[in-house]
Amino acid sequence: MTDINKHEEQKRFRAEATSLWKITFGPLVWAVHFVATYGLTALTCAKGWPLDPLRIGVGVGTVLALAGILWLGWGAWAQWDTLRDREWENDAPTDEDRHQFLGHAAFLLSIISFIGVVYVALPILLFGSCQ
Amino acid sequence: MQNIWLSDGMGQGRRQHNWKSHAALTGILLLAGCGSGRQSVLNPAGDDALMLFDLARVMFIGALILWLLVAALFIYVTRIAPREFSRCSAERLIVGGGVIFPVLLLGALLIYSLPLMSSQREADDGLEVQITAEQWWWRVNYVLPNGDTITSANELRLPVGARTGLRLNAHRVIHSFWVPALGGKTDMIPGRETFMSLKPETPGIYRGQCAEFCGASHALMAFEVVAMEPEAFAAWLAAEAADAVPPQTPLARKGAGVFAREGCGGCHTVRGTDAQGQVGPDLTHVGSRVSLGAGILPDGVEDFANWIAHTEDLKPEVAMPTYDYLSDGDLTALATYLEGLE
Repeated sequence: MTDINKHEEQKRFRAEATSLWKITFGPLVWAVHFVATYGLTALTCAKGWPLDPLRIGVGVGTVLALAGILWLGWGAWAQWDTLRDREWENDAPTDEDRHQFLGHAAFLLSIISFIGVVYVALPILLFGSCQ
Repeated sequence: MQNIWLSDGMGQGRRQHNWKSHAALTGILLLAGCGSGRQSVLNPAGDDALMLFDLARVMFIGALILWLLVAALFIYVTRIAPREFSRCSAERLIVGGGVIFPVLLLGALLIYSLPLMSSQREADDGLEVQITAEQWWWRVNYVLPNGDTITSANELRLPVGARTGLRLNAHRVIHSFWVPALGGKTDMIPGRETFMSLKPETPGIYRGQCAEFCGASHALMAFEVVAMEPEAFAAWLAAEAADAVPPQTPLARKGAGVFAREGCGGCHTVRGTDAQGQVGPDLTHVGSRVSLGAGILPDGVEDFANWIAHTEDLKPEVAMPTYDYLSDGDLTALATYLEGLE
């Protein structure tokens, strides 16, 4: 790798230096949705409030969370860039590979977060009571 | 056993024959065990148990189909047509069969089974029973729609065709309430009331069992559930609400004297008498119950005598003392008195 190439690469992926924590966004949405769902349900059942507002609220929250995760997942998919360069693994010690690897990890985390949000929401949407 | 097969010189054939007959015998025993079913989920006699039985069948058949598919695929790729897979088709198989298919299948099963959970806790049709688990017996209070309470113990009677609510509590440790033939299992937790409901459909006598380890005599903490036609249930409930019948025979009257002399009333209640203790089971109508000692003995005069003289042997660490010093005469009289409390 020539010095010029190296310089180019560093410039292109400079943002990467601070973006490791970006891969936590998907699980973070899942965690917020989880805490809000469980907390609201516990509160509603403890206070004996009607269930319909809870179910509507959880339904809306779930749609928002899923939309957010889809958006993050789409960005991660683009960052992984596996269709263009046909590279399933990105294990070279270059900034570009690090960039794509982080996209790959964030994409997989988005999938698990999506499934987690759906499974957390299902009981409240399907249960008819606090019992 | 295996050593005998190997050393008897009859070789593989004999061994295989034995294996087969053992498997057949085990199968027959298992099936026989299922058929008798007074305490079996395979013999559902109520709405909730039927629902759970269906759920179990769906899950079992689903698991069986899945297992056969995986086994067939395994045999196909290793025995019938072994070949090298391209990276792409291998990844498709892993992502499709290992991620997408299980997520969809588990999601479908979750959607199918979740509504069943809340239906196991539907509200009652008017009758509510409060059950408190003790070590190792059951306090049972029938709460009528008008608020009246009828106290009983160690036996649950339910009308068929109606849903009865069960408010479950525990005194000192965690127990679990389970009548397999009628419905699911619910934990009983000190300081926290739990709720479930049962709707028996077939009249009969079923057996319940504490399903959470609760101390030395956990396995001996059972109870009988009598599912009755609504009219018979109403008549029984009216009789259960009444005070105890006074002893009718000289022997029973002598037994009532022994009961008073030994201080049994310090722990047990016999409504309509001086005995008002709350520590042990209510004995007002103990003679009409199906079992004795929380589901461990039948309910005959000899069984009462046996229980009173051998409590510690029959139920280790039970709070009731062993009255092994009573004379045979006193014991028989006491047992006759208790058996007469119908």
